[in-house]
Amino acid sequence: MAEACQIARKQDLPPPGGYKPIPFKRVPAKTYFSGYTLFAGYIGVTIGAIYLYNLTLKKVKKHEIEMRSAKMAIYPMLLAERDREYLKQLRRNRDAEAELMRDVPGWEVGTYYGERIYKLVPPDALVEPIFHEYYAHSSPTEWFKRAYIKLRS
Amino acid sequence: MVVTADVVLPEESELTVEEVNLSTASLRAGSFHLGKYCEQANNEFMLCRFEEDDPRKCINEGKAVTACTMDFFRKVKKACVAEFNQYANCIDKSSGDFSLQHCRKTQGVFDKCMLENLNLERPPFGYFCEPRVHDTKRPKPPPEPKAVYPDATPGLPDDAERKPARFGSRFYWMTE
Repeated sequence: MAEACQIARKQDLPPPGGYKPIPFKRVPAKTYFSGYTLFAGYIGVTIGAIYLYNLTLKKVKKHEIEMRSAKMAIYPMLLAERDREYLKQLRRNRDAEAELMRDVPGWEVGTYYGERIYKLVPPDALVEPIFHEYYAHSSPTEWFKRAYIKLRS
Repeated sequence: MVVTADVVLPEESELTVEEVNLSTASLRAGSFHLGKYCEQANNEFMLCRFEEDDPRKCINEGKAVTACTMDFFRKVKKACVAEFNQYANCIDKSSGDFSLQHCRKTQGVFDKCMLENLNLERPPFGYFCEPRVHDTKRPKPPPEPKAVYPDATPGLPDDAERKPARFGSRFYWMTE
């Protein structure tokens, strides 16, 4: 057992010439611009962008005004046509309701068994019906088409 | 429905006139000249419509507007149909929202034709967005009378004593 402990051992020592010095010195990234240059660049680019933005904004505004002019010029014609068709449809609806409720005793058109819905307006005043009432006597397909447009426009 | 039998609705025959059967692109193409040509009728109708706030009262003005529009497009058809169709086609197919800005060349051709044949100049930029004064013969509808409530709280008499404010002012939160 004593012989086994006689092996020559090599002590763990630094390499010849010693360890390399530890590189603890700070190595900053290469700077292309100073802070002031960056601020100046930011301001310069922003001013340029504002100028270009305003050029485009003027163009867009002019376009909007032109389109609005074109729409407003034809609006009276479209409104006149719409009014006529609307009044025609109101009459059709009223006739349809009279026909539908013909056999119900005591029913008066536009009222709930003679009780008016709007009591404070004069009897001749035209109260525009809500969407569902306006489409009440049409086919569900037409109702759906119109409701679909209205939800998505 | 809220429309009772007492509500006077015009007959179908009163409302049936020849309507303008044109596409949006065509209407847009002719819109500026149309607005200038029918300015009187349009202003009359729109004033009536907004003052009265009732479609039944402006049927005749509306018919005048439609008749004027029909007259205008008939004249355009007689004089400048090729230029008009070219311009409307351009508006139709150049963008999704009938923009006028892509069709300056065809617009120039159309404007020239309108000026030469119908002596109608294109109105200046933004003309229809400006407020305009319209003189009409139709009497103004009377304003809605102020509501009178029989059970309203009676006000102070005019000769009631009015002391100066105790805390310097009479703002609404200072209930003296």
